[in-house]
Parts: sequence; structure tokens; C-alpha cells
Amino acid sequence: MDTAPREKIEMDFGYSPEQEALRDEVRQFIDDYVTDEVQDEIENWGEGGRGPLVRELYKIIAERKWVGITWPKEYGGQEGNRLDQYIVEEEFSRVGISVGGAGSGAPAILAAGTDEQKKEFLPGLLKGEITLALGFTEPQAGADLAGLQCRAVKDGDDFVINGQKMYTSSAHYASHIYLMARTDPDAPRHRGISIFLIPMDTPGITVRPLWTIQSDPRAPSKTTYGQQRTNETFFEDVRVPRSCMLGEENQGWYVGAMGLNLDRVGASRYLISVRRDEDIINYIKETEFDGDSPAQDPAVRDKLAELWIEAQVCRLMTMRSMSLVNRDVNFTYEGSAEKVWAPEHGVRTTETITQILGPYAQLLHGSDEAIEDGLFAHNVMGAFQSGINHGSVQVMRDQVARRGLGMPRG
Amino acid sequence: MAKDLVCGKEIDESDARAESGLTRHGASEVDPTKGTRIFHDGAWMYFCGLECRTKFLASPATYLEQA
Repeated sequence: MDTAPREKIEMDFGYSPEQEALRDEVRQFIDDYVTDEVQDEIENWGEGGRGPLVRELYKIIAERKWVGITWPKEYGGQEGNRLDQYIVEEEFSRVGISVGGAGSGAPAILAAGTDEQKKEFLPGLLKGEITLALGFTEPQAGADLAGLQCRAVKDGDDFVINGQKMYTSSAHYASHIYLMARTDPDAPRHRGISIFLIPMDTPGITVRPLWTIQSDPRAPSKTTYGQQRTNETFFEDVRVPRSCMLGEENQGWYVGAMGLNLDRVGASRYLISVRRDEDIINYIKETEFDGDSPAQDPAVRDKLAELWIEAQVCRLMTMRSMSLVNRDVNFTYEGSAEKVWAPEHGVRTTETITQILGPYAQLLHGSDEAIEDGLFAHNVMGAFQSGINHGSVQVMRDQVARRGLGMPRG
Repeated sequence: MAKDLVCGKEIDESDARAESGLTRHGASEVDPTKGTRIFHDGAWMYFCGLECRTKFLASPATYLEQA
């Protein structure tokens, strides 16, 4: 167990009046700007919902300075409070709009990028003009990320890349790929890896669509992990200058892991796991079966109360992680613990949804009898994905064992 | 033509690599029904789909010995 002394702070889980005002301001903005047309685009546009109206909306949100709130001012941020960012992310996530940290690439660029890279990428990421596809996973190396084989071979001042990546989910609309490749095959496997930021139109990059179980019928936009399309991406003699490298050569593992860890802190990840129980609780409170409210059924109430309690654990773990990051405390296993608890809570939620709704929990979008346009059935399908994405729960438990409990590498 | 080392099916490499469109930011996109590939030991190998490729990756030596 990590027993290093940490600064003790007073615990306060409430929001300040200024933060409550910020939440109200964001809610009003959503009422004004997220019109039916925007919602339709979020639901139906095949590029992660980023059609022309949504892309324009991202620019307006950035002008309000609601993205990258904690980032340095010189790159468009406000050097502000992470909890403010959490509030903004939480409100936008509820209507299917992802704002905030711009994935794991942005924190990695902030930490390891050159001044030129920060100026090139960070303002564009804030406005949604630059989108990074995550290029880490490979067919033979999913959870075992350090087993990656994609090679980047030095050739003069350039690197030549050959290999492929799996589940490059936004590759079909991303401007760049945030790529992990092996630059020293003779080094210990964690130490021969580098990261590159590569424009998608670089010759030799090919994208092959992979359609998910959420694609036909398509998942409603509120579905958590309702992504209809992902991709595999091939790199064939892709030549890039050294200036595309992020951080030091052969140090990419540490940069990438740090970015993934920081990306787990915030409202988006929290909401992925708890929105399902918010949806079922709201539905049960508002509906009646044959004149009776299921909210009066003791078994239903017991199950939903249990889910709510578990969700509060998710929230508190998220708040604690944010507090550690805010105070620059070395943040190693806490995010991993959260990444185990929250997705597995999500899976337990789907079990409860199935028990309460019975056969209705199986009716997908398009069925005449489907509840909430098939939301619950699509949520059940999506829940299991969250235990794998961005680090499987098994890998996260291993990190807790090593870094939190001080056990040796297995 | 390349041969899928798992199911034995012949794969037209040029079909598997043919550009069927462009992504929003200009990368080539291919038709997923024409097969897939993997860069293995310095060369591209072709498969009819993910199922055969996954079987190959689980035991490359087995399929390479049989080839």
C-alpha cells in the first residue's frame, strides 16, 4: 500500500455558488443551442455525430472557454479549476456532446510536446478542428499494449512506419492519428516505444471500417458505448519527419500511459458508467404498468437504491482522482481502481435493467414495442465494452496490485 | 493472388487494398468485404476476414508450417 505522506485537506463534495452558476449557464446554453436539428445530427451523422452543425457548435463552446479550462492560457486554456471542467463536461455529455480534455492525446501533448507541437495542436483541439484517432491497440496486442509490433524505423531525418492498429474508432473523421510504434525492437518491451502525431492524409495510411453490433439497428444517441463504427488502420511505408514524434525517442510508453491515466479523470468517463442507472431510475419513476408504478415495488426500489449507492462510489472516486491531479499528487493506481469499479458497476446495472424490464430490455431500436427507442437494450450491449476500452479491468487490477499494494510485476 | 493461410481461400491483394473512398481528412478507405491483412515478420499477409486472421495470430507457427 502506498503509505507516502500526503497533504491532508478538508473534504467538501459540494459546489461553490460560482460553480452552480456555471452549471446553470451551461444548461441554458444547451437549451438555446442544442436544437432538434443538432440532436438529429448527433444521432445520425456517421462521424461520431460531428456533422456541420455540431462542428460549428464546438467552435462556439470553445469561444465560451468551456474546453481545456485547466490548460495554460497561452494555448487557449484558462488555468482554471478541474471541477469547473467537470461540470461543463457533465452537462454536455448528457446531450451526447463530448467536450473537455480532447481524449488522452491532449494531456500527453501538454506534458511532453514541444512548444511547436503545443501551438500546432492545442488550440485546434479546443475548437474541434483537430481530432486525434487513438492508434495504440493492435490485433495481437490489445490488453497487452506493450506487445505492440508496429515498427517505426529511422531513415535519415525521417521514420518509416509499417504495421497496423485496431479499434482506431475515429480514424474515418480524425485529422491525425496519435500513434504508438516500436522504435527499438531490442530494448525491453516498455522501453523501445515512441509516440507520433501523424496527419491522416500522409501517403500509406489506409482505413478499413469495422461495423459494430450497435450499427444495425443503430443505437440511439444516448446509448453509452453505442458507437456504430470503428476501424482498423494500416501503415505501409508511411514516412514521417522526426518533428512528428511526441516526447523523447523510446520513451513513448510512459507518455502514452500518463495520457491514458489523465484521460480517465473527469465527467465523461464517470457518466459512461452511471448514465445507464440514471436512465432506468428516471424511466421507472415516470412510468406505469397497468396503472401501477413499478417504483412502488419493493424489489425494484431495492435494486435501484443499490445502483444509486454504487454510482455515488463512482462519483466519489472521480472526485478524489480530480483532487489528486489538481494538487499534482503522483497519480498512479487511483485512476486504475476507478476504471475497475465504474465499468463493472455499469455491467451490474444492465443486469438490473434486464431483471426489471424483462423482455422489453431486449427490444432494439426500430421495434414498435421498444422502450425509449431501444435505449435500454442498446445500453445492455454497450456495457460490456467499457470493461475493455482504454485499459481492460484485468490490466487495471494488475496496476492496483503493483502500484497500490506494492506487489511485484507478474 | 494471396492465399488465406487459415481457410485456404484466395485473396486478391489489389482488391483488398483498392481505395473505395477517402476519410474526412484524406486517408484511403478500403472495402471491408474484400479481406484484411497483417504486417507479419516484415511482409503483408492477407486473410478473408478478421476470424481467420485472429486464428492465425493465436498460433502463427502452426499455420506457417502448414503452408
